[in-house]
Amino acid sequence: MAEQPYTVASDSETTGEDKSQPSFPDVAIGIDIGTSKCSVAVWNGHQVELLKNTRNQKGMRSYVMFKDDNLSAGVTGGAARENAHEERDILSGSAIFNMKRLIGRMDTDEVVQASKTLPFLVQTLGIGVRPFIAALVNNMWRSTTPEEVLAIFLLELKALVEMHLKHPVRNAVLTIPVAFSRFQQTRIERACAMAGLHVLRLMPEPTAVALLYAQQQQQLMHDNMGSGIEKIALIFNMGAGYCDVAVAATAGGVSQIRALSGCTVGGEDILQNIMHHVLPNFDSLYAGQTMDRIRSMGLLRIATQDAIHRLANQETVEINVDLGNGQKLSKVLDHSEFEQVNRAIFEKCEKIINQCLLDAKLVPEDINDVILVGGCSRIPRIRSLVLGLCKKEVSYKNIDALEAAVSGAALEGAIASGVTDPSGTLDLLTIQATPMNLGIRVDGDNFAAIIPRNTTVPARRDMLFTTTHDNQTEALIAVYEGEGERAEDNHLLGYFKITGIPPAPKGSVEISVCMDIDASNVLRVFAGVVKPQGPAIPPFIEVRMPTLDDGHGWCGQALAKTYGKTLDLAVLPKKLQP
Amino acid sequence: MLGFFGTSADSDLCHLQLGNGSVHHELIRPNNYRQRSVIRCCSTARGRTKDYYYQVLGVTVYSTPQEIKEAYRKLQKQHHPDIAGYKGHDYTLLLNEAYKVLMRSLSRHADGKSRAGPLWKWSHWDGYSSWNGPVRSQALFVDENKCIGQLAVESCPVNCIHWVDSQELPMLGFLSRPQPKAMASSVVGGNGPRTCSQQPRTLPRDSKGWSRNLNGSNPPEATVGIQTAKLKQRRRLRRGLVDVWNVLRRWRKGGTDQ
Repeated sequence: MAEQPYTVASDSETTGEDKSQPSFPDVAIGIDIGTSKCSVAVWNGHQVELLKNTRNQKGMRSYVMFKDDNLSAGVTGGAARENAHEERDILSGSAIFNMKRLIGRMDTDEVVQASKTLPFLVQTLGIGVRPFIAALVNNMWRSTTPEEVLAIFLLELKALVEMHLKHPVRNAVLTIPVAFSRFQQTRIERACAMAGLHVLRLMPEPTAVALLYAQQQQQLMHDNMGSGIEKIALIFNMGAGYCDVAVAATAGGVSQIRALSGCTVGGEDILQNIMHHVLPNFDSLYAGQTMDRIRSMGLLRIATQDAIHRLANQETVEINVDLGNGQKLSKVLDHSEFEQVNRAIFEKCEKIINQCLLDAKLVPEDINDVILVGGCSRIPRIRSLVLGLCKKEVSYKNIDALEAAVSGAALEGAIASGVTDPSGTLDLLTIQATPMNLGIRVDGDNFAAIIPRNTTVPARRDMLFTTTHDNQTEALIAVYEGEGERAEDNHLLGYFKITGIPPAPKGSVEISVCMDIDASNVLRVFAGVVKPQGPAIPPFIEVRMPTLDDGHGWCGQALAKTYGKTLDLAVLPKKLQP
Repeated sequence: MLGFFGTSADSDLCHLQLGNGSVHHELIRPNNYRQRSVIRCCSTARGRTKDYYYQVLGVTVYSTPQEIKEAYRKLQKQHHPDIAGYKGHDYTLLLNEAYKVLMRSLSRHADGKSRAGPLWKWSHWDGYSSWNGPVRSQALFVDENKCIGQLAVESCPVNCIHWVDSQELPMLGFLSRPQPKAMASSVVGGNGPRTCSQQPRTLPRDSKGWSRNLNGSNPPEATVGIQTAKLKQRRRLRRGLVDVWNVLRRWRKGGTDQ
């Protein structure tokens, strides 16, 4: 895995140069990598076109099958080979899926812990390193990484697109969950680089939907000669792995993201909950992965998944599985039971919707349209919950729940590639916002947010800090991202030292830390001494974040252990404040 | 300070044409490091004023939130890096800042409707003086056009600081600020030409610290002194403003009827 070419390729400066000569073949494609399904779309000159695979599917199952020396991803679904993969094959342990849940996570993460019930091997040590992941090949666990699996998948996806377009593709716009940390975003970029794709933009999924909505609203305006009044849409997106909410204000083809929030709950959690519910001794039964256990767990998974799907339209469903070894499972599941078991998930959804409305400073009455997308938006309870919170009877109809995100990504791809459409279909813009607070560690373990969440992007903010010790000559800038009040509760993105601070009593030196996020969501941190001034001051430092590569759970602790409070900074109190 | 942003643009001064093409002005790269140590009653301590932001968005002080939003979106569509490429980065930053400041001041006004009393209809007044502290009948008003930077009521040699009813604050703020040409001639004609470079300050925000000081920790004799000074100042100020006030009320009636 060579790293160097990737880092250079994804630099935004090169993006700027690329765009100076837009030519049609360079239009970026839109990719929606879902936890469970994946789709790809492209602007064909007139409209967004979703590409189908050889099995005529628009939504392709996200997995990579490891078989002997062959690798095949879910894009073709093994159709080119002797026989197509069925769900049972995918759950046999030979395929890796749910890459999006695992990518860029440490083994202490509860999402990784929950993934241990998947048929392939997820081994954790619980010390804050990347988990060991392996697929079953000829009765042997062969190790791999989520990035590698994703890259293989993307490679096959790219081949599919190139076959359709009959020219090579280079640039792509990918949708990501709101809850993705910047570290996870770099993992996605790396996977793309391994597949030979340059990431033009990583778009939070609901913002891609917002762009599609903006396009539809503008189209409506043209058709009806209506006025360009502002419309507020709440977009709720819940797929298999993540749940996102966005509030967007749309007018004149511009969709302005007012607030974003997201969390790591999705269909996978619902599935796990139901499996544990119908089989109370699930964990003890499937501790340790042997061949027959994997097979029986796969059967249970298929049956449960099917039951959940049917429950969307039926009052009750029956789950009947032969688990092998003479064990049979027979259970009737109804709505109230289903809702009871998944109550925590619905509460989480409720929380992030309320949070989003609060951040956008809006009340439910302000919302014009509620857009429900993602696979889980079919669940009746989810629909009623979102509509209830927004005080709406019906949701917005003109958007396909499964194709919206990828269509939005393809639109953004066309816009960011510099394509213009004479009919004005592409006269669109999404004004993004930051989903999480960005700041540095101060005064021990406190967190000072420099760019608060939901700040309009591009953003540049600065803040003044001061030394905490007399004659302190060095200061550590540890950059964190997240919602926690303590630095430890947030994701560490990177760190660097400011050296050569002129000796002075504590509190008298002023150190400025400036953060800058550009439209392609690249974060740069600038820091240096601004007071006292003079030639004896070291030059400013510019650092592109995240700088951390791996094992980031350890770094924060190691820094605290090695340096304690000796390199700490404190927020400089604002003298003009009341 | 400028050097380390070298990656983002090639020059430190960007000459930009605003949307309507009529205003051509110089954008100086933001000075991120404000002076915080000096408190003055009128200064350019923050470097930028609302006037500047109004100019950036190409709107007037009378624009409604809707108009500001529309102007912002229109400019974003031209300058956003998604459309204009990386060179749009700095200008978009400025647009975002201007939009944030102007919208925030408008929404703050909307929240304070009840306190502003009969003047609440003047939505564009927000951004002029308003008192955000505890409700009191009096407030300090600084006439920026006169002010030379003194702090205390009594020691100010040009009488730019006045004690006034807090209800009068927005009105006074309005009168002392730059007006569009038509307004300026009809309302405050006698007071000389005003340009946008005269920077209005929203008094309470800058002076809250020290006016609270006056209130809270001053010894009683100082308070008495202030009381008398206050009365004097107030009378003097009122006389000067009464006729202006009347003109304005007439104008306002006409304006709201439309």
